[in-house]
Amino acid sequence: MKFTCEKEPLLREMLIAHDTISTKSTISILSNVLFIAEKNSLKIMATDLKVSFSSSVAIQMKQAGTIVCFCDRLMEILRSLPDGEIDFSLDENQVLSIVPRTTKASFRLKCISADKFPAQQEVEEKQFVEFAQKDFIDMIHKTIYAISDDETRFFLNGVFFEKGEGQLNMVASDGRRLALITKNAEKVSGNFPGVIIPPKILNIVRKNASGEGNFQFAITEKNIFIKLENRLFSSNLIEGKFPNYQKIIPEKNDHRVHVKRKTLEESLKRVSILIENKTRSVLFQFGDKNLVISSEESEIGKAQEEIVCDYTGPEIVITFNYFYLLEPLRVIEDETVEIEFNDARRAVILHPQGNHSYFNIIMPLQGE
Amino acid sequence: MTETESSPVIFHADLDAFFASVEQSDRPELRGKPVIVGARPGRRGVVSACSYEARAFGVRSALPISQAVRLCPQGVFLPVRMERYIEVSNRIMRVLEQAAPEFCQISIDEAFMDFSGTARLLGEPGEIASLLKRRIRDDFGLTISVGIAPNRYLAKMASQFRKPDGLFRVRPGEEEAFLDGLLPADLWGVGKKTAARLAELNLTTVASIRTLSAGMLSTLFGKAGGSFLHHAVRGIDPGIFTAETKSRSLSSETTFESDRRDAAGLKKVLLRLAHEVMFRLLYEGLRAKTVVLKIRLENFETVQAQETRRHWVLSAEELYAAAVALLEKKWNWKTPIRLLGLGLSNVTAGKTHTQGELFEEQDGRKQKLEAAVLKIRRKYDKVNLTKARLLEQEKEDPSGSREARKPGKEGEKRRGH
Repeated sequence: MKFTCEKEPLLREMLIAHDTISTKSTISILSNVLFIAEKNSLKIMATDLKVSFSSSVAIQMKQAGTIVCFCDRLMEILRSLPDGEIDFSLDENQVLSIVPRTTKASFRLKCISADKFPAQQEVEEKQFVEFAQKDFIDMIHKTIYAISDDETRFFLNGVFFEKGEGQLNMVASDGRRLALITKNAEKVSGNFPGVIIPPKILNIVRKNASGEGNFQFAITEKNIFIKLENRLFSSNLIEGKFPNYQKIIPEKNDHRVHVKRKTLEESLKRVSILIENKTRSVLFQFGDKNLVISSEESEIGKAQEEIVCDYTGPEIVITFNYFYLLEPLRVIEDETVEIEFNDARRAVILHPQGNHSYFNIIMPLQGE
Repeated sequence: MTETESSPVIFHADLDAFFASVEQSDRPELRGKPVIVGARPGRRGVVSACSYEARAFGVRSALPISQAVRLCPQGVFLPVRMERYIEVSNRIMRVLEQAAPEFCQISIDEAFMDFSGTARLLGEPGEIASLLKRRIRDDFGLTISVGIAPNRYLAKMASQFRKPDGLFRVRPGEEEAFLDGLLPADLWGVGKKTAARLAELNLTTVASIRTLSAGMLSTLFGKAGGSFLHHAVRGIDPGIFTAETKSRSLSSETTFESDRRDAAGLKKVLLRLAHEVMFRLLYEGLRAKTVVLKIRLENFETVQAQETRRHWVLSAEELYAAAVALLEKKWNWKTPIRLLGLGLSNVTAGKTHTQGELFEEQDGRKQKLEAAVLKIRRKYDKVNLTKARLLEQEKEDPSGSREARKPGKEGEKRRGH
C-alpha cells in the first residue's frame, strides 16, 4: 500500500473515527481503523461493534492495499503536522511509514493485518430514504437530553424514532419527563415501526452534520444507517419496547400560562444557585398574573424571583426538578413558552407558544 | 397473570462488610486480608466493622478492639473514615434509588426497594437484582447482598441468608418454608434475651413456635413480644421497618483513649461530632430539631441531655453551639469523661420530595385491579397452597430453577458459618 494525501481531509475523517471507536482504556482491535486504498480513494472504517463509521478521502494512489492501524496515535500524528501532503507507505512487516512533505519529520507506525477487523453491517441501497439534515439535527437536539442512563431501564436508554402519517416523531424519556418532537415528513417514503436508537450515533451525527441539504437513513430490523455526504454511520438499535408515550400525554389542561422563555431560563438559573443538590427541587408558585420561582429553605439559604405571566386561576405551587425545566428551555428558540397544567401532582406540559410540534411532559416532584 | 406479577416484591439490599469493603476497594492491596476498622489497637474503643477475612478469626463489630487484636493479631487495623463511607454509600444509594420505583434507605449500608408490579416493565426481580449487583460491583468494587420477598421483614432476612454477595428470593407461598430453615435466633428482631427464653422453653425451631397460639405467646413473651413472634414465624411483617416517617435518630460518639476533662479539647471533639452528624443528616436529605448529648463519666455513669429547638438544625455550627450549651448544663467541668456522643433525634424526611413517574400513572388502576384479583384468589386458594408446599417438601424439587430451594439444607449451611 502506497499513497499520498492531504493532511486536512484525512484528519477530519480520523477525528470522527476516533469518536466512533471504543473509548475504553483496554486496547483491542476496536481501537484501530481499517484503511483500504483502491482506485485513488482511501476508505476508512472504524467500529466499536455497536456503532460503525466508514468514509473515504481522495488520494494519489501508487499501490493498492489494506491495513489496520492504531487510531489514536495516527490521529495524534496527523494533528501535529502542518497542512500539506503526506506520503504513506506500508512495508512487508506491516509498518506504515508516514512522511510529511512539509517538514522533515517521519513516523513508522506498527500496524496489524486487516483480516481481524470486524465486518461492517450492510444495508441495501434502496432502503435509504431522504430527509432534511436541519430537521433531523433539530429533533436530536430537542430530545436527546431526556433519555435515561439507568441501565435497568434499558428501553429508555435511547431515543424513540418512528414514522407516522406524513410525519417523523422523535421521543425521549427517563420515565419522569419526556420530550417529543414531530416534523413533517410527507416526502419521506414508506413507513417503519418505531425503533430505539442509542444516543452515541446521534451525537456523532449531530456533531458532524453540516445542517445543509438532505441526508439519507435506513432502518432495518436491528440497525439504523445514516448517510451524511460520503460518510456512512450505523448503529445497533436497542431491543425492547418503548413505553406507550401517547397514553401519558395529558388530554385536557385547566391552566395555560405564558412566560418569556429567556426570562424564565435566567430566573431559573439565578434561583438554582441556592437549590439543594439532592432533589434539585424548585418551586413554582403561580399567583394572579405572576409566577414566583424559589428554592427551598435549606442550610445554605433560599433564593426567589418573581416574574410576570398571564396566570389568573387560584394560587398553586408546583415543585419541579430544576433540570427538567432548564434542559428544554435551553433548546427552545421561540420567544415565549407555554406551561400547561392541571394541579401540582399531574404531569405538566412545556412547549413553545403556539407550537405543538415540540413539547416536554414533566412530572412534578411530590411532597409528602 | 401469575401470582408473583401482582404481589408485593420488596428488595432488601445490604452492602457486605461495608466499611471494611470500602477500605479494601480503595486500597486493593488489602483485598483478601483481615481488615478491622475501628479504634486503634492498644487504645480503648471497639471494632466498627471488619472484613469477612477477619470474621473468620471470630472478630465481630462492637467487640472491644483489644479482644480483636488477641483474636486476630495479623489483622490490618484501620481508623474509621466515616466521610468516605458516607460518600460511597450516597453514590451507591443513588444508583439503587434510581433503579427502583420506591426506595427507602434505612442505614448507611442498607435500603429497601419496592419493585411491586414492575415485572413486565422492568423485568424479573431476580434479573433486576443481578443487574444491580453487577453494577455495584463494576462501578464501586463492592458486593451487595439482596433479599427479595413479599414484605420488608422477609426481604431483610433473605438478604442475610446468603451473605456475602448473596441473592435470595422468598416467593409468595414460601414464607413459612423459608423461615423453617432458620433458627429462632436468626429471626430478625429476636435478641439474646428472647433467644435464651425460647431455648429454655425448648422452642428450638421456628416451626415449633408456630404451633403456639397468639395468646400463649403473649403470656410467655408479653403483649408486644408475643405478637411480634406470632407474626414473625408466619412471615407476616411485624412492622419493624414499616414506618418510613417514624422518628429516627442520627448520632456519632467517641470513646477517649484516656478519660479527659479539658474543656477546650472536649469542645473540639463536639465540633467534630457535630460536623459528622450534620454531614450525614444533610446527605440523607433529612431534618431534625432535637439535639441529644451523651456523656459517659469515668465511673461508667451515663448522662443524656436533650433539647428540642424551635427550628430545624441547619448547620454544624448550630448543632455544635447547642451541644456545648448542653455540656455546660450537664457537666461539672471536673469529673473526667470517658465517652462523648452527639446526636439528633426525631429525624424526619423533612420537606424532601419524590419525583413522580410518568408511565406509572396509567398503571395505577391496573395495579389496584390486580391487587383485588389476587386478594380474592388468595382467599380461595389458601388451603391448596399449603398442601402444594407440603407435597414439595416430600420429594426433591425437580425444576431446579426455583430460587427458594429446600429450606432444610440451607438451614444447615447457614449454621455452618
